[in-house]
Amino acid sequence: MCDDASEKIVNIATPVMNKNDRFAAENRKLLGEKGIYTLNLISSPGAGKTTVLESMARFFGQRMAVIEGDVQTRRDAERIEKAGCQAWQIETGGACHLDAHAVKHALDHMDLSSEELELLAIENVGNLICPSGYDLGEDMRIGLLSVPEGDDKILKYPSLFSTINVLLINKMDLIPHLDFDVDITIKECRSLSPDVEVFTVSARTGEGMEEFCEFVESSFS
Amino acid sequence: MHELSLAHDMTRIIGNVLGRKVPLDRVNVTIGPLSGISPESLKFCFTEIAKMEGFGEPELVINLTEAKLICLECGTEYQARDFYQGCPECGSISRKILSGREFTVDSVEIDEGEN
Repeated sequence: MCDDASEKIVNIATPVMNKNDRFAAENRKLLGEKGIYTLNLISSPGAGKTTVLESMARFFGQRMAVIEGDVQTRRDAERIEKAGCQAWQIETGGACHLDAHAVKHALDHMDLSSEELELLAIENVGNLICPSGYDLGEDMRIGLLSVPEGDDKILKYPSLFSTINVLLINKMDLIPHLDFDVDITIKECRSLSPDVEVFTVSARTGEGMEEFCEFVESSFS
Repeated sequence: MHELSLAHDMTRIIGNVLGRKVPLDRVNVTIGPLSGISPESLKFCFTEIAKMEGFGEPELVINLTEAKLICLECGTEYQARDFYQGCPECGSISRKILSGREFTVDSVEIDEGEN
């Protein structure tokens, strides 16, 4: 029995992301011990994450492995495998983001024993909101924005763009047809993430991809 | 829509601390304005999940905090309720986030009729 009013209040004082952050720390430790540098790639659907990763797969080859996050289908993993990298598909079955537990589960199934392997790229579910609060254990968080989406997106989705280390502006081959202001985009992104590194690329034509891949490579070698 | 996952996480945390499932009167949480969480959406999701998980129909009481920022132009420390508020001294929006992403289940109040 609880007659005392004070006894009916129970102190919880627990951050809701505790469990995710614990798994993220485990992932970071495991990957760090194996000498694998990890990227978390976040964008809206159709911004070109998988095309960027295909281009990276051609640069890094067997040195890179990929975890693909999608609501459904193995399509993206198949594309990455064709491009020459080990890929593991997470199908979230409806969830709008990856969490660190799903990534841990993927890591349990992947072959991380290769001496060659030094880079893991995690392609998050296409979404500019939900993935931003979930640390997966990555070393570098990359926000990908494609120019057809418009140059107003940075300040519309601040919870993501305030947490990124790198802004990758993709589909630059389309810029002659659009009113996308690259300078404003970069300025607004720096107002949220002062130290953000910015690359302008076209994953489809390959423009700027070598410079970006070399930057990623220099981050772990 | 990640509020649905967060509502599930909240009931898991509450269940773990209480060690049982009991109807609740109130659940008190703290949310930072830069957490990317929609308070209205969380209330909607939590109401459904709490009922499904055996915690009755508690009121979700949200303590919305202010974010702490530091201006990178003039060094002023200031508080803001969103990402768009610039420095009150110099107007710059170039700043570093010191806090504002927190999301904590603070306490619960058990429905007295159940004890």
